[in-house]
Amino acid sequence: MKWIYRFDELGKEHNDIVGKKCANLGEMTRVGFRVPPGFALTLGAYERFMKETGAIEEIRRYLATFSADPDNTADMTKYDKASEEMRGILESKEMPEDMENVIKQYYEGVSKTAGISDVPVATRSAGPGSHPGQYETYLCISGSSEVVKNIIRVWSSTFNPRSIIARARLGLSLEYDPIGVAVLKMVNARSAGVMFTLNPVSGDPSVAVIEGNWGLGESVVSGAVTPDVWTVDKVILEIVKESVSTKPKEYLLDTKTGKTMLVDLPPERQNIPCLSKEEILELVKTGMKVEEHYGIAQDTEWAIDDDLPFPENVFMLQCRPEQVWSKRKKESVLGKKSGYELLMARAMKRIKIQE
Amino acid sequence: MADEKAGRFPDPHEYQVPPELEGWEEMYPSHYLFSKERQDWEKNQFWYLDKIHAPEPMPPLDLIFQEAWQISLSQYTTRVFCIPPAQGIAQRMIGPYMYICAIAPPPDEVIGEKAQLFEKRVFYVFEHYNELWDKWLTKFKALGEEMKAVEVPKELPKFVPEDQVLPAPTGCYVSYDLVAAFDTLVNKMFKGWQYHFEMLNLTYLAYLMFGDVTRKLFPDISESAIGKMVAGAYVSMFRPEEELCQLSRLATSLSGVAEILKGETTADQKKTELKKSEDGKKWLEAFDKAKDPWFYVSCGSGWFHHEGSWITNLDIPFSYIKSYVERLEKGETIERSLDEVDKERDETVAKYRELITTDEDRESFDGAYKTVRTIYRYAEDHLFWVEHWFHTIWFSKIRDFGKLLVDNGMINEVDDIFMFNRYEIPEILTEVVTGWALGVDIPLRSDYYKAKADKRKKILKAANEWNPIPALGVPPEEVAEPFTIMLWGVTTDKVQEWLKGMGEGEVRPEDISEIKGFASSAGVVEGPARVLKRLKEIVDIQPGEILVCPTPNPSWAPIFTKIKGAITDIGGLTSHAAIVCREYGVPSVTGTGVGTSVIKTGDKIRLDGDRGIVTILERC
Repeated sequence: MKWIYRFDELGKEHNDIVGKKCANLGEMTRVGFRVPPGFALTLGAYERFMKETGAIEEIRRYLATFSADPDNTADMTKYDKASEEMRGILESKEMPEDMENVIKQYYEGVSKTAGISDVPVATRSAGPGSHPGQYETYLCISGSSEVVKNIIRVWSSTFNPRSIIARARLGLSLEYDPIGVAVLKMVNARSAGVMFTLNPVSGDPSVAVIEGNWGLGESVVSGAVTPDVWTVDKVILEIVKESVSTKPKEYLLDTKTGKTMLVDLPPERQNIPCLSKEEILELVKTGMKVEEHYGIAQDTEWAIDDDLPFPENVFMLQCRPEQVWSKRKKESVLGKKSGYELLMARAMKRIKIQE
Repeated sequence: MADEKAGRFPDPHEYQVPPELEGWEEMYPSHYLFSKERQDWEKNQFWYLDKIHAPEPMPPLDLIFQEAWQISLSQYTTRVFCIPPAQGIAQRMIGPYMYICAIAPPPDEVIGEKAQLFEKRVFYVFEHYNELWDKWLTKFKALGEEMKAVEVPKELPKFVPEDQVLPAPTGCYVSYDLVAAFDTLVNKMFKGWQYHFEMLNLTYLAYLMFGDVTRKLFPDISESAIGKMVAGAYVSMFRPEEELCQLSRLATSLSGVAEILKGETTADQKKTELKKSEDGKKWLEAFDKAKDPWFYVSCGSGWFHHEGSWITNLDIPFSYIKSYVERLEKGETIERSLDEVDKERDETVAKYRELITTDEDRESFDGAYKTVRTIYRYAEDHLFWVEHWFHTIWFSKIRDFGKLLVDNGMINEVDDIFMFNRYEIPEILTEVVTGWALGVDIPLRSDYYKAKADKRKKILKAANEWNPIPALGVPPEEVAEPFTIMLWGVTTDKVQEWLKGMGEGEVRPEDISEIKGFASSAGVVEGPARVLKRLKEIVDIQPGEILVCPTPNPSWAPIFTKIKGAITDIGGLTSHAAIVCREYGVPSVTGTGVGTSVIKTGDKIRLDGDRGIVTILERC
């Protein structure tokens, strides 16, 4: 059973095998979008690890003695404790040797593609279902042993308190939640953020909305700063609205710890747009291709790599179907009126000048 | 509004003009002045400076076009097609600047009556637009020919010619003909302007309707996208330029012609030169064939006598031809591909259409689009025929009168005739023919008229240096008048902005380093500014300059290949000029309000057409 894939070997048909995020990255690579190079570990890899290292047995033994109510606030500390125990079990295990060797080979492949030895990578979780953000991601991992170690940490994040409580609430078994892992080159993000291929507020499908800040996308996703916002008409490819905010801080990577840090931006960068017009339009064009490919509006994360020239620096980090408007029932907004009826309606209209 | 001070602009009856404008009132018909008799009504209306039709001080005779549109535009809305809640637009002068007022909706019962008439009358026009347009064009061309045919006496002969007396006296002579000719011209001008609005109100209404429809479907859609879907390529207003392109191509295919046209000589010298060869004659023949009607195009908007036209300033079309010939020889394409423009528009429409999520809405959209497309070309077609062709004929006829008045010592220069309004000119003409009839050595009041013309020229010049307040009176509760909304873009925001501006102390233009407007054509450029307040200065533009003007005009299309960018005081995203900018890929920021007063020729500026921002980098 194959348990590891390069992105370009994957497609959306692998959703259940490698998790959605990995399958998407694969699909995007295959279609020719710029995504950082990398590879994915399947759910099967997680299962092998759990079985072959005996971790699963130990967890079952631990859980046999555990009881708590996920809806009782007082029990939250119990889950914290359980999480710590079970994560400890996983993280104390060594990767089976044959797996370790294969992972190292794939990692070297990424280093080679990037042209950097021991290229810094991110190890990202990829659930097969839709539990976005429950698991953990580790950034700026450099060197093959570190990569292997952090893959285990991603797996062990299926036992973080949020995830086990979520499983408990859904009445699922606590012992077992296989996920995929994506290992991909770290983007040296000059600017990053999110993009919807429709307006998430109005539902307007003719525009894309980009939010971005300097540095990593975390500041945008977490709401730590008010991002710059662009609304771009996808048909005529023109920016129809722009709001450049004061952005006092950005997230940067501490390459030593692999942790992100929120740092102050120098005053001269705070008020200037974090994207150029050509980058904005390139992002939108890419977003439109992604949307067209999947046949549904997308919610994407992107980054502009500081090391590469335009347009090779415009990366899509992930994409997923937009959840709100795409699912809404389509209703007529024009009330089935004919051209003349619409004209009559307009002729009757008055514009309020005074409030 | 109850509060006399807050939320209102100054009472127009109390607003003071600078002392240098003293005596301005006599330049215009007295019903154009704010008056005691109408004070209660006037002070509670909302009057704003009409920078679209009257961006500069108004020469008295040029007010005739404004007079004519006040009546015509309003009557089509209120009495002809009866747009239910809309009333007309009133005009007043404050100094040599024109203020206009969109009148508040009528009582509900009137709206109800109008609604019935509207349905019956308006839908018919849409159903029959094409045949109505053909009829319109036929009668309009005939009217223009009639105006051309009006004979303006060239002189007041010492004795009337023999053939007017024998074998039978004609019975009426130059003393009658002169005054009658002027009256005829005035009447034809008014008639032309009656025709002007025949379908224009409906055109704008349809456009606004389509705007509403697309905004309902696509809340974030820009005005420029709506404009792109509606605008047509095959419209009369583009023809003058197309004719120039064709003449330029013809020149390069003939022997020796291109060389002459590329020379640095005047149009007259070039014509003399061309007459010397067979091919030159051939080219001139083609030129003569194209010139009427297509070079009867104003160098400006058509609204002012001093703008001149291609036909009266042949140096202008010849300078365009020169640069086209040079570009052709470099192997460049000079023509816009109209098919491309049309195709691109259809593709844009198809893409939006595809994004519509329900079949019902798609059907409504199709209906709305068909309605607006049926009629929209009227907006660009009438413009050529009325403001350009027809006005050009008028100006040339009026100058015939001017020449006669100069010859008879009543004014110093031909164009001084424009310093008198249309009611005053018959008086001058009458005085002249009275003197002629009385016999020889009859004194006329030449000095009186010359002094008047001089004084008025001084007033207009002084008014150029004055920035009048943007609005007066009380903002109305609501407007429904389609022109007010579409052309002047009067909205709650705009009114609030004007009100806000009143409270602040005056900011000196030289202290401003950034101005904002509509991002009407994408791109960022830097370069020296060329401020063009007087439209005839257009020949001064150097390649690579950024044009700054009150409002660009359709006939300027050829210079868009020369300039780096364009900034205007007025105009939204749908104006013809904004469309031209986009088609030529010239970045532009429109509707800045203050561009021409803040920026000076030679200032180094940055124009950001993506964001609608102009930055003054370095003052010259």
